[in-house]
Amino acid sequence: MISRPMIAAILTSTAAVASAAAGPLQVTSSVMVEARSAAPDGTTRVTLVKPSRVTPGDKVIFILAYRNTGAQPLADVVLDNPLPRQIAYRAANPGSPAPDVSVDGKTFGSLATLRVRSPDGGTRAANPNDVTSVRWRLASPIPAGAQGQFAFQAVLK
Amino acid sequence: MAILLAGTGLQALVSSPASAQVSGSTSVGTPAGTAAGTPIINTAGLRYDLGDATRSTTSNTVTIVVAERLDVALTGDIGGAIVVTTAPTVVPLTLTNLDNGNESFVLAVTLVAGTNSPGTIVVRTLVIDADGDGLYDATRDPALVDGKTPSLSPGQSIKLLAIVAAAPGTGAPAAAPATATLTVTARSTTGSGSAGTGYDGLGDGGGAAVVGPTGASASVSIPLTTATAAGASLFKSQSVRAADGSQNAVRDSVITYTLEARFTDAVAGARIADPIPAGTVFVPGSLMLDGVPLSDAADGDAGRFDATGAQAGAQTGGPQAPGIAVALGQVAAASVHTVQFKAKIQ
Repeated sequence: MISRPMIAAILTSTAAVASAAAGPLQVTSSVMVEARSAAPDGTTRVTLVKPSRVTPGDKVIFILAYRNTGAQPLADVVLDNPLPRQIAYRAANPGSPAPDVSVDGKTFGSLATLRVRSPDGGTRAANPNDVTSVRWRLASPIPAGAQGQFAFQAVLK
Repeated sequence: MAILLAGTGLQALVSSPASAQVSGSTSVGTPAGTAAGTPIINTAGLRYDLGDATRSTTSNTVTIVVAERLDVALTGDIGGAIVVTTAPTVVPLTLTNLDNGNESFVLAVTLVAGTNSPGTIVVRTLVIDADGDGLYDATRDPALVDGKTPSLSPGQSIKLLAIVAAAPGTGAPAAAPATATLTVTARSTTGSGSAGTGYDGLGDGGGAAVVGPTGASASVSIPLTTATAAGASLFKSQSVRAADGSQNAVRDSVITYTLEARFTDAVAGARIADPIPAGTVFVPGSLMLDGVPLSDAADGDAGRFDATGAQAGAQTGGPQAPGIAVALGQVAAASVHTVQFKAKIQ
């Protein structure tokens, strides 16, 4: 259920973001779902569409598209996406570089290098459900006018 | 949860004949998950160096509203066939809302009679078992309003009672038991059908509703039968008393046979017959019904000793042997009658 104060909060934050994104590096976040259709050659064609009917267990694709709208290259670019708590990380989307992931929002790395505390006081290897945030670091500067995108797959809890 | 009180909107459909080879089934769906109507809000952060300065900002914010997945499970609470009497007989069921949202369910009941006696078992009503005790209490267990359950929260279960009964007079001892199959079907009120069918704007919180893997429909079929031999059971016991007061089964020892007939159901024409065991002779004047002596002659009272066994042999198709016979006639439901007689070991 959506309460009225929550709706107001969303609108406020959206408005704030619009002005903040006016710098030379613009990032557009979108959430998509896969739509499958039969192609004329008999194969199944998968396209990404805006979700209208996402239910628990559905796969969703988070896409971060960036673009350097300025006249200078931008260096040391880092994009990070804390996951909404109803979202479980799965993997990088095919074609996208794999992100570093974090189970605590502080330490980032590949999933295999991360551990989480278990209730008995020890630790165990992290699994995709433990991921709370994903991050990409660009190794080289983004030239003026250049663009690209990152994407990862997740599931609605 | 509030239970609404009102008259029933239920209709029983009776048709025949059909096979009764159906057993109770269980529908299982996926766990509810994130509640329908929940907004999923995503914003990415970014950091970069421009010249000597590090800047940070955020992306736009994307909000998607979780749709309502329509799923339901319905199970019978008792495995196997349920024995139906002329008194209201309870068929307990459990309905579970497997939605990730609040939903009420439309229930439909059909009864398909077996080949033996079409129409002898009827559906009286379908009610909510308000106190969950599995017993029908007409004052506390409300009928469904318009054949629907109240709105159930995600994962919530509700106990239901289908009330069935055998038509009076069915299932006399000689008759074969009547059979029927009771099918109860629950459907999401928002919609049901093929998985993936969508209803924009009809989900909780204003999002879409989507039919889930269960088709938003669940059915359970439960075989019903009237009791074999109208729910009568006969329990025979014996005690031996020898001339010396011991319980030794020796010559001239007297065996007292006790036949206890229990009836779950009211029946007409009930009759108890028992042959005198080989090697023994009937003790004249020993026949009693419910503690009252009966004469041995075929006369005005209910019992007789049939020395030739002609009648018993003709009725059972077995060999003619001396035996006792007691006609109980009209028997009330939930009654017990006891016949006793004595035989002496030869």
